Amino acid sequence: MKNKLLSFPKLVAFLFLLLMAIIWVVPLIWGLVTSFKGDMEFKTIGFKFLPVEWVTTNYTSLLVDNDSTPLLHWFFNSLIISVVHTLLVLIVVSMAAFAYGRLHFKGRNALFLFLMATMMFPGVVNLIPLYKIVDSLGWVNTYWAAIVPGAAGVFNIFLVRQFMVNIPIEFDEAARIDGAGDFQIFFRVVLPLLRPILMVVALFSFTGSWNDFLWPSIVFNDIEKMPITSGLQLLQGMYTAQPTLLMAGALIAIVPTFILYLFAQKYFLQSMSLSAGVKG
Amino acid sequence: MRKLGLVFMTIMLVAALAACGGKSSGSNSSSSKEIVFWNPFAGPDGQNMKKMVDEYNKTNPKYKIKNISLKEGDMYKKIQTVENSGKNVPDLMIVHAERIKLYHDNKMLTSFDKYLKDYPEIKAENYMQEAWKIGDLDGSRYSVPLDIHSSVMYYNKDLVEKYAPGALDDNIVTYDEIEAAGEKSQKDKITGLGITWMKPIFLSLYAQNGGKLTENGTDPTIHNDQAKAAFQKWIDLYKEHVTNKDGEDPLQLFLQGKLIFYPEGIWMNNNLKDAKFDYGLTNAPQLSNDKSKMVNWSSSHQFVMFNSKERTDEKAKGVLAFVDWVRDHSLEWAKAGQNPASLKILDEPEYQKMAQSFLLKDPVEQASLKIFDYKYNGYVSEELDAKSLDIVFGKNPVDKALADIQKSLEDKISKDNTNK
Amino acid sequence: MEAPVKVIEKKATFKRSKKRTVNWTPWVFVTPHLVIFSLFFLVPILYGIYISFTSWDLVGKPDFVGLANYKEILWQKDSSFYTQFHNGLKNTFIFVLLSVPSCIIIPLLLASALNAKPRFHKLFQSIFYMPTLFSISAVVIIWTLMFNVNQGPINNLLGKSILWTGSQPYAWATLVIVTVWWGIGGNMIIYQAALNGIPKDYYEAADVDGANAIQKFFKITLPSIRGQILYTVVITTIAQFNVYGQPLMLTAGGPTDSTRVLLMDIQQNAFGSGQSIAGIASAMAFILGLCIMVVSLIQFLFLRNRD
Repeated sequence: MKNKLLSFPKLVAFLFLLLMAIIWVVPLIWGLVTSFKGDMEFKTIGFKFLPVEWVTTNYTSLLVDNDSTPLLHWFFNSLIISVVHTLLVLIVVSMAAFAYGRLHFKGRNALFLFLMATMMFPGVVNLIPLYKIVDSLGWVNTYWAAIVPGAAGVFNIFLVRQFMVNIPIEFDEAARIDGAGDFQIFFRVVLPLLRPILMVVALFSFTGSWNDFLWPSIVFNDIEKMPITSGLQLLQGMYTAQPTLLMAGALIAIVPTFILYLFAQKYFLQSMSLSAGVKG
Repeated sequence: MRKLGLVFMTIMLVAALAACGGKSSGSNSSSSKEIVFWNPFAGPDGQNMKKMVDEYNKTNPKYKIKNISLKEGDMYKKIQTVENSGKNVPDLMIVHAERIKLYHDNKMLTSFDKYLKDYPEIKAENYMQEAWKIGDLDGSRYSVPLDIHSSVMYYNKDLVEKYAPGALDDNIVTYDEIEAAGEKSQKDKITGLGITWMKPIFLSLYAQNGGKLTENGTDPTIHNDQAKAAFQKWIDLYKEHVTNKDGEDPLQLFLQGKLIFYPEGIWMNNNLKDAKFDYGLTNAPQLSNDKSKMVNWSSSHQFVMFNSKERTDEKAKGVLAFVDWVRDHSLEWAKAGQNPASLKILDEPEYQKMAQSFLLKDPVEQASLKIFDYKYNGYVSEELDAKSLDIVFGKNPVDKALADIQKSLEDKISKDNTNK
Repeated sequence: MEAPVKVIEKKATFKRSKKRTVNWTPWVFVTPHLVIFSLFFLVPILYGIYISFTSWDLVGKPDFVGLANYKEILWQKDSSFYTQFHNGLKNTFIFVLLSVPSCIIIPLLLASALNAKPRFHKLFQSIFYMPTLFSISAVVIIWTLMFNVNQGPINNLLGKSILWTGSQPYAWATLVIVTVWWGIGGNMIIYQAALNGIPKDYYEAADVDGANAIQKFFKITLPSIRGQILYTVVITTIAQFNVYGQPLMLTAGGPTDSTRVLLMDIQQNAFGSGQSIAGIASAMAFILGLCIMVVSLIQFLFLRNRD
């Protein structure tokens, strides 16, 4: 009886996921195979899902033959920017979320509401003042310009704070009775329990930073200093478009974020069950 | 415990600040012996520009050029932000001809006058007139042209032979000829005319009808019969199935050999090179066979210097030295499919063989090139790019659309404080 | 917002009984963020609000014009900025209404199914998450090819020649499909994290009571992850209000401006190819911000704990 109950929902879940996965994967595969089509083939032969002739020229012309697009350089820049940005976000967010979610201080809720409210305003028109501030710090054309401003966001704090609500307050109180201060509670009690959600925050921040292109293209003057997504924008050219080439560029660009995802997935699934264990 | 935390925090902040400080000191290193050169050549033409710059730097000039190719939209945003903060302004920049009046009226440009006497060859006689005159504002010189690029028309030679024999004898294809060919070719599922970038096509037709974007230089004039007639021509061609259908990609049709006439810019030539049939390049579609009435929409990339406190007179001379060198060495730029504005190019046998050279070789052709340098051309472009296709495909009635465009232009222009 | 407040109050009394001096520790925790926030977000926003009361071309000095920009876009019916603003805001709301429900429900269903840990669930999870890793321009490239009238797989599969990006209601459908495909990964992961945290004994107790799967979903699952649902609803709504890349690159706002969203107008007015009209653009952005605020507030009121 119990086995049946267990396996039937699993079967339904599997079939549902299979159906959705097929829908989700077709555009991905389409993008992948397109990147192996020749430009002329793509434009002259009507609809064919698979390439008539598999070519790698789209990749080689991006990676090898192109001396004005220092792809490896861009990769390296993006890695530095995204890694440091992610670390900064993790530190800043976990600390702030702890304060807004766990500590008591005057005006706390009002302050948090205020932060959330300002986040509602679209930032597009603020390019000029933001640039001026970054410029007056001497950050134009440095990695800092791409690393720090993005850490101003409040949504991640909101997310971590929402998650923290589920961690029983008794943990803190028990530690406090043992003589722990706020810092010890933060580092020894709360932080370890936040690990799964912080992995999620890390993944979001890294991907967001990796994929941002408008702001970096404004603050970097040197092509060699640009991150990869801005760099790839350059390839789109002024008047011309080669979908097959662009597709190859897009696929090269997601390799690092995909690796991070695979790593994070393993990690946060594991730690999620840990935290569940603690609670149960 | 709290103390420990405070110490930890302080260390972190200090470390961060120190790191930033250390970085920033080395950052503003646009070294004084270098000319920072921004241009919007991010595509394949960027390679040609890079080659030219490398070539120039090899001549060991006093100031070497640092080439920075940016995406067009990003570059125009960037120049606003750096001009606003006054730092990191490029020493030399390429902008489109249509923007120069506006930049000049906003007092953002530095005049070349002071430095021209050292470079006597940078003068009107050596450049294509239509492109040269753009930089002449209030009796001063604010820009020097790099090229003049036009919207023309590509044609499939076999298909022309079959459906429009003789249409190209005079190197002018009229709308009537296109219509006749398209009607014939329909039966064979061959499309007569591609609907591509409507802005240059419309503007060229509008000018052929005698229309002007402005009478007095400020107020727009577009809601009129000339504009209506220009769009009506294309609406009719679409209704008669002479053109491709909505949603069809004319570039693909052309490459597949299913399209006779494909109006596009000369810069597209590099994209068509691998076509498996013979094709040619001719004037944009015209209303009449009279060559003196011909109009080919054109634009031009122009060298300008934005105001910058960091650019010394010496450096500005270095800028002119490069501009002058380009005047002499623009064959590489022609290889990108463009027509250089320096007339010296006409001496190059290799250029004479290039397809786009027909526009410069013949004085009558040269006279047909028209740059639409209305000060508010930027607004006109936005409106035309947003509405033209809807008009042609019959989704937006032409009269209403033009009235909307007119109103929108007036409202936007009324916001310009420099007019008051 | 109420649950955390209550928890805190309980703790606060606990704390006050111990010491009465002003406690600076919380400020140590929030200061790093507040510094970054003020410098790189608050100051630019305040400046933007100031600009909305001026007429400015980004070059000269802003001219103070009071409420003129607001009056013009809100009430001056004969102004084309009025038309622009009202059309843009209307389309933005349409897009939010169409896309947000799918961006919540689909990932929730996926996360629930994944949580049952069927075969290949890790593979499935990767597939659903992968589009989120792409930048918007890459997503648009893929889907422009997918929806191509003659050469796209979709029309070829359906055996039709639908003009996806150029006619309604297909243009809206295109935008929503692309947005959902691209954007559900984040919400799905948040739900998975939340679902994983629900103690198994809740379900076991429900099993003893003879509850079926649907009852369990509504009685146990949903209430347990209410915090995360509130978070995702609010964040997704804000994100969709800020939609820009999809309509810009897929439909170009067409046909006849029917998918032209407000952010496209704001961008064009501020950083278009003509003279910048930053005052009007800022005023539009400010009102868009107010709209988002009101909608978020309503969501808070509906989704907060009701006990």
